[in-house]
Amino acid sequence: MRQIIKDRQVVADDWTYVGKEEAAGATRVVLPLADYLAVRAGGESPVPGAQVAVSLLPADDEQALKPYLADLPLIVVEFPSTAEGRGYTQARLLRERMGFQGELRAAGGVRLDQVFLLARCGFNAFDLAVGEKLEPAIAELERFSVAYQDGAGPLTHPRRRYDTGASSAR
Amino acid sequence: MYRYDNIDQTLVAERVAQFRDQTRRFLAGELSEDEFKPLRLRNGLYIQTHAPMLRVAIPYGLLSSRQLRMLAHLARKYDRDYGHFTTRQNLQYNWPKLEDVPDMLADLATVEMHAIQTSGNCIRNTTADHFAGIAPDEVDDPRPYCEIIRQWSTVHPEFNYLPRKFKIAVTGSPADRAASEVHDIGLHLKRGPDGEIGFEVLVGGGLGRTPIIGKVICDFLPREHLLSYLEAILRIYNQEGRRDNIYKARIKILVKALGIEAFREAVEAEWALIRDSGLKLEVAEIERMRSFFVPLPYETLADIDPTTGREPAFVAWYRHNTRAHKVPGYRAVIVSLKAPDIAPGDITATQMDELADLADRLSSGQLRATHDQNLILAEVRQQDLYEVWQGLVALTLATPNIGTLTDMICCPGLDFCSLANASSISIAKQINDRFTDVDYLYDLGHIEVKMSGCMNACGHHHVGHIGILGVDKRGEEWYQITLGGSASGISSLGTVIGPSVSKADVAETIAKILDVYVAERQEEESFLDAFRRIGVQPFSERVYAANH
Repeated sequence: MRQIIKDRQVVADDWTYVGKEEAAGATRVVLPLADYLAVRAGGESPVPGAQVAVSLLPADDEQALKPYLADLPLIVVEFPSTAEGRGYTQARLLRERMGFQGELRAAGGVRLDQVFLLARCGFNAFDLAVGEKLEPAIAELERFSVAYQDGAGPLTHPRRRYDTGASSAR
Repeated sequence: MYRYDNIDQTLVAERVAQFRDQTRRFLAGELSEDEFKPLRLRNGLYIQTHAPMLRVAIPYGLLSSRQLRMLAHLARKYDRDYGHFTTRQNLQYNWPKLEDVPDMLADLATVEMHAIQTSGNCIRNTTADHFAGIAPDEVDDPRPYCEIIRQWSTVHPEFNYLPRKFKIAVTGSPADRAASEVHDIGLHLKRGPDGEIGFEVLVGGGLGRTPIIGKVICDFLPREHLLSYLEAILRIYNQEGRRDNIYKARIKILVKALGIEAFREAVEAEWALIRDSGLKLEVAEIERMRSFFVPLPYETLADIDPTTGREPAFVAWYRHNTRAHKVPGYRAVIVSLKAPDIAPGDITATQMDELADLADRLSSGQLRATHDQNLILAEVRQQDLYEVWQGLVALTLATPNIGTLTDMICCPGLDFCSLANASSISIAKQINDRFTDVDYLYDLGHIEVKMSGCMNACGHHHVGHIGILGVDKRGEEWYQITLGGSASGISSLGTVIGPSVSKADVAETIAKILDVYVAERQEEESFLDAFRRIGVQPFSERVYAANH
């Protein structure tokens, strides 16, 4: 079974990515956006009876998920390459603007060196690129103890320093 | 100037630790070259023709003497005793060793400097008017806003993997000394209807293969909305910018494709949703930033004429290399990094150290880097100008050529850069060798020559009054000449005069162009004004007539 990072822990993942993995008999399946929307609109699931979640490609419009967010257990945001940056925006919009509370997973060309930024955008789960080590990636989530931007996690509104008495470094 | 607090210092220290770890993993074979590349680029490290190149950020061009001494130290310890100032207020080292770079960055962090996001597809160093805070024509000092932008853009979680690089320039004066109209975003400080401070916002300017002057997206943006508006622009760009073709990936291509109206509509719709979020700047935040850039405790002095009784060499330098200061009795000195026998923008470690001493002794202990690759001592008492000049002469930093033909912008070109098609530095030398008569140069007046060794346009050739672009023709270096470009005041892109010329003919071609100008100019008319009046044709006729 696939190992992923979820909430800063290595866990076994029992979701099946339909279209990429053999899905027959699966109990929990992740569908591409179009398929997911079709199922939610009353269409037949490619894996009848299985619980469904959705994956977004970079060009997909996350707004399409708005009606379904409350009972969506998982959204997988795919990064076809490490250079792909749209998923960072998708994540922030899903979390901050649309209030998505479930598992938000970055998958694909995701490497250890991106997880800090991804987590700041709201991802709480990481299905890393093949060959990436998971334990060092968990450590990487603590890479920075400060940030200049609002974001997911404890480092909020660091610009508001005029009343914090942040002392000079020297 | 801005001073780091614990948050800033911690962030750069943690960034150094991160890059040290990344470098270690690369050297240990745990990261491939392809995997390491986006990581090193985001820390200013390129792999060039001969060696790695490290680009250090000088945020909005402001530099303390202490920082300059550290730059000298790095040049000595890790490079070949010199550095190179770029067209975006950065400093580049051309010969560091990859394995030394983490130590260089750690050294920089001790003087509140870094190389974060000086390359890569992310928000780059924010640049500003080099006369910020002292220009008589300034609406407001751009530097506090630049620092706000620097912090917001540094390690921004959402905008570190943009379609392409992203450059922001801010100016507080109507005279644009930051080439802001050829930036991805140009911000012009201005006053609103009730006297409040805000920005005119331009978007989609840029040079490179597709040079475009930025378009106004917002006539007046109240300053408290600065970051929310920037975030809205970046978010639309990150979502909609092209990622399929590196040459079509800059925001200018997106703005052009959508049209400024549709792009504005998208940005304003996004902005409406975030303008009153935590991005809104509170007055206390802005005031805190402004407090770092308060005017110096100037002495009460009267303006004097420092040239009285002085030798002609000083007078020439005073006329060409110093500029007005808003406070009586003071003047800004431009330190020329354009001596005839050096590559434009280069400075040695010894020059850096001595200049730092001069800044401490006779200016404010601060310097500024200009986008045209010179340095500035911004706070010199007029009565000290002669002494400053003597000091600069001793350092060969007093070439009295600012604003003249030989005050050229020049990229590193084929001598260093792996992207270049042709040499730039040798052309600068050719021009210097050809035009040695300073009286002739002074008679020509203000002329900006800008040259790039390839169409990526690091040397801003499109906006040179005379632009020179190196091109590769069947393995030979040729040069395309453009005329009439400008990035200050009324921006314009240069017009190509005709077929490119051979390397040996560049200076001679410029001589012909200048002949036309001298013959055609009316009274005090500048080269640029003359070109705008008579157009390219007389120049083309003269240049190519001789070839038939």
